[in-house]
Amino acid sequence: MSHGTEIIEVENDIIVVEPERQNALGVRYIILPLIFLTVTLLGGLRFGEKDSAFIFLVPPLLCLVFAAAVMVLFFRSGLLRLESWLTERKSTLENVSNGAILVTLFTATVQIFNSLMPEQGLPFWVIGFCFVWTLWNNLFSDFDVAKLLKSLAAMFALAFVAKYLVLANLVGPSEGNWLQRIIENPGKETFTWLLDLPRYAAATGYVQFFAAVLYLGGLYLTPPEIDE
Amino acid sequence: MSSNTIIAMKKPYLHIISTAIVAIGLTFIAFLYWSQPKTLAEVTTKGSVAIGTYSIEKAEFERGLTLFRSEDYIGSRVAFDRADPEKRDAATQFYVAYSYYRQGWGRVSNDDALFTEGLKAADRVIAIDANYRSTDAALTMRTASELKKELEEGLKLTVDDLNPFKLTRERK
Repeated sequence: MSHGTEIIEVENDIIVVEPERQNALGVRYIILPLIFLTVTLLGGLRFGEKDSAFIFLVPPLLCLVFAAAVMVLFFRSGLLRLESWLTERKSTLENVSNGAILVTLFTATVQIFNSLMPEQGLPFWVIGFCFVWTLWNNLFSDFDVAKLLKSLAAMFALAFVAKYLVLANLVGPSEGNWLQRIIENPGKETFTWLLDLPRYAAATGYVQFFAAVLYLGGLYLTPPEIDE
Repeated sequence: MSSNTIIAMKKPYLHIISTAIVAIGLTFIAFLYWSQPKTLAEVTTKGSVAIGTYSIEKAEFERGLTLFRSEDYIGSRVAFDRADPEKRDAATQFYVAYSYYRQGWGRVSNDDALFTEGLKAADRVIAIDANYRSTDAALTMRTASELKKELEEGLKLTVDDLNPFKLTRERK
C-alpha cells in the first residue's frame, strides 16, 4: 500500500485506512453531491428587482437537451468513465450511490444552462444557438479531459459575460411610468423592450457567478474512475 | 496504530449517507421550485404546508376578528393575511370574503372590485371545505355558499336593481 500505510485493523463497523483515501471518499460521496446540489438549487434562482424576492425559474426543455449533450461529452472525453462508475463488479449500494452523484451532476448541468441562458426573447435563441453550435461541434471532436474542461469554462464564461454583464447593463430601471422611462433612458428602455429583457436585482449576477464557479470546481473534483 | 492512519467510517455507511443527501437535497430543491417561495419565511410556511403541520397564527386571527367587528375591514384583512399567509384556513378565508362583502356593500350600488375579491375568497373557502359553517352568531350569512350567492348577485346588473324598494334593504 502506498506511503507505507496499510489496513491494520478490521473490527466490526470500524476500519482503519490511510487518510488520503478517506479524504478522497469524503470528497466523492459527501462534498461532490453537496456541490452539485448547491448548483442545482442556485442555477434557477433570480432576485426580483424591487423587493429582492426569490424567483425560482424552472429550466426550459432546451437546457435538459444541452445537459444531456454535455454528459455525453463527459463520457466521450474520459472525464467520467461510466464503466467504472456503474459496474456489476460493485455492490448495488455503491452503484446506487455513484448513480446518485451522476444524477446530481446532470441536474447541476441543467441548472448551469438555465443560469447562463437568457430567459426569453431574441437573446434566448441567439445564445441557445451558440450553445447548440459549440456542443454539436464538440460531440464530433477528439477531446481529452483538459481540453473539454477549458472548452466548457470558455463557453460558460462567454455566456456569463453576455448575459450578466452585457445584456444586464442594457436593462433600464423600472421606476416611473413608461413615458418617463423612455425620456430618461431612451437607449436602455428600447433595448429592454426590443430584446424582451427581464429586470432582476444585481444580486442575481453574483449568485450565478458563484454557481458557475462552484460547478467548474465540482467538475475538477470529480474523479474519472471509481477505484474498486 | 501508526500516526498516519485514521479511524474511518465503513464504506457502505458512506454510500447510504451520500444517497440520502442526494435524495433529500433533490426533494428539497424540487419542493422549492414547485412551491416558489418568495422569502425565507415563506420557505418555512410552505414547508409546514407540505408536511401537514400548517396552522394559522391565532393571535393575528383574533386581532383580525376584533378589527372586523369594529368595521375596520382593510385592517382586518391585513391581520387575516398575517394569520393565514397560505390562505388555507376556511374560517379565516370566510372572514376575508365577508370583509370584502361588507366593505363593498352599498345601498344604491356595490363596489364591483371588492365584491370580485370577496368572490375569490368565498371560492377559496369552498375549495378548502365545501361544508364550512361559521359559528359566529353576529353574522347573517353563515356558509360560503350563501356568501358567494350574495356576492354574485351584487355583481350582476339586472332590471331588479332599479327597484326603489331595494334602497330599504339592509347589509347582512
